[in-house]
Amino acid sequence: MSEVCRVAAERRGNVAILSTDGYINNQGGEEIARQAYAQLESGASALVLNLEKTRIVNSIGISILIEVLEKVMDRKGQLAFCGLTPTIDKTFRIMGLAQYAAIYPTEAEAIRAVATA
Amino acid sequence: MTDFAPAAASRLAGLWKALEEPLRGVDRPLPARLAQAAVSWTGARRGALYLRERDLWVRAAVAGDGAEELELPDFSSSRAASREDTLWIPLAAEGEVHGHLGLEGLSAEEGAELAPFLGLFLGSLLGAHRFSRQVKEADFEVRTRLVELESLYDLGLSLGGQLDVSSLADEVLFRSISLTDAGKGTLALFHEDGRLLLERSLGGQLLPPEGFASWQLPEGDAVINNAAASVPTAGVRLASCAKCLAVPISVAGRRLGVLAVADKESRDGRVLDFTPADARLLSLFANQAAAAIETARLHRAAIEQERIERELELAAAIQREILPRSLPEVTGVELAAASLPTRQVGGDYYDLFPLSRGRLGFLVADVSGKGVPAALLVSTVHAAVHLQIDEAKTVAELVARIDRHLRRYAATRKFLTMFFGLFEPDSGLLTYVSAGHNPALLLRGSGQTETLGATGVPVGMFPGSSWREVRVTLSPGDLLCVYTDGLTEAVNEQEEEFGLERLSAVVAGGREKPVRELCDRILEKVADFAREMPQYDDQTLLLLRRSEPPVDPHAG
Repeated sequence: MSEVCRVAAERRGNVAILSTDGYINNQGGEEIARQAYAQLESGASALVLNLEKTRIVNSIGISILIEVLEKVMDRKGQLAFCGLTPTIDKTFRIMGLAQYAAIYPTEAEAIRAVATA
Repeated sequence: MTDFAPAAASRLAGLWKALEEPLRGVDRPLPARLAQAAVSWTGARRGALYLRERDLWVRAAVAGDGAEELELPDFSSSRAASREDTLWIPLAAEGEVHGHLGLEGLSAEEGAELAPFLGLFLGSLLGAHRFSRQVKEADFEVRTRLVELESLYDLGLSLGGQLDVSSLADEVLFRSISLTDAGKGTLALFHEDGRLLLERSLGGQLLPPEGFASWQLPEGDAVINNAAASVPTAGVRLASCAKCLAVPISVAGRRLGVLAVADKESRDGRVLDFTPADARLLSLFANQAAAAIETARLHRAAIEQERIERELELAAAIQREILPRSLPEVTGVELAAASLPTRQVGGDYYDLFPLSRGRLGFLVADVSGKGVPAALLVSTVHAAVHLQIDEAKTVAELVARIDRHLRRYAATRKFLTMFFGLFEPDSGLLTYVSAGHNPALLLRGSGQTETLGATGVPVGMFPGSSWREVRVTLSPGDLLCVYTDGLTEAVNEQEEEFGLERLSAVVAGGREKPVRELCDRILEKVADFAREMPQYDDQTLLLLRRSEPPVDPHAG
């Protein structure tokens, strides 16, 4: 796991896939938000956040993810998570992220779900 | 009043229309949308919106060119007031001022007419927005505390079953950093002798690895240092962070490691102070970690012990097969032998070989080392002797062949002392080689004791060694006692050795007894001498007495 969170973006039609590698803290969260907003601006209506290479998220990172989620919802878009460790999965569920964003085990399942919705 | 109501309603409708679009917008924060709507609706040149942030009024949004220049005056009242060309309107609701809106370029009349509407309407919106934000923050805070509790619970569960110390360290470190919102952290664990066992860091090391062992954190207390860059933390300067929280990982006063996190993050990029609540949380993690690490350590030790015992039992079984189950019946010789390993597996070995023409070969050997490696060498020696005994023409040659065999095939570089004897009962001739072995005792029928010393170096010690054969003749009734040093070096509580002198005395005292009885008596005497003292060497003994010739009823 990288110490500085890196975010890689990939676009498949109207679905943007952001894959993180590292600690989702203030820096990591800001980078996710920056890239997520750029994708929304360029026409993406659904975001898939793949956290397969992330093992740690703090509350600042979560608050930024909530902001991203709100932004996506304001635009009537969709957000899905995948590749979560059990700890992060549980944290997201407690923090309310899972209320409005679906969680899938794999990226393929997440893309399929938001692309066909 | 009747004139005002329709006008007010019309104004409110206009304001609502101006705000409708910005309120729905999602691209910009609410303050920016409100500032823009207010400027559009009033026709002001430009405007600025100030909101309260931690006891300070800060500019939250501007609308119009150069609106950044609109500086909020130092207000002492909550009424709208003009400063130069700008009207400053307090945005209030429920008796609380939520913001100040500055609009430039309005006439005094326009200002007087618009200010009440804007103040109330935008104030209400900001109040609702602020309240909604507070509710969200409170909800977030409650959920965060819930994550902490769940995390502690989960950590207890997962650590309970986690026996890999490395994974365990990662688990504790990641959760500690995450739940304290730290930017970085380190967990270091030590061996029992204080050496560093492992170190895990995220976001950079707080100390060079060798620095952790000497970090004297107070027992059972977390140390908060919110000036870590300039003030040492528990005596250690941490150059790599601004603020630090550290706690020792200990069990019953025994130091197992250190857990430290640093540089608590905030949403706006500032480094926050660590609080006593953070310290409590980190201490809880350290306690969980200490219990889990100790459990893992004890489990590893138990598994290792079990593995060793299994290996020793296996090796002991092999060795039991190697030692003779019974002694051969050889005419003209009384024999007795015993071997007591001090552990499950010893390094002693004895064997007897009935040979052609009524002869008897025998050996007593003591392999260097103990346990499984010694047992393996004993096994190799056993194979070598059985392979070579029919090939060698002399005792010395046999020992040399065993030496070469060991050099070629033994898995470990060890050596052994050995007494090998070839006894011819008819003549009483004993030919022997003592390869660095303890002096054997030869008790003559007359009561005199002779010692048969070494005739060469231990087997396997030096390449190209040779051994001298020595011949002695045993008269009927003479007794040979060959033993290993576990007997003579058995110690008692006063740390005295049993010694050759005591052994000689016991042998001499029992020279009339059957050799089996004497053998038991010797072992008993050694055991009585040592009492409860644990012994560290195997004890092996072989007794050989040349029998008195049978009385010929026809003689004389």
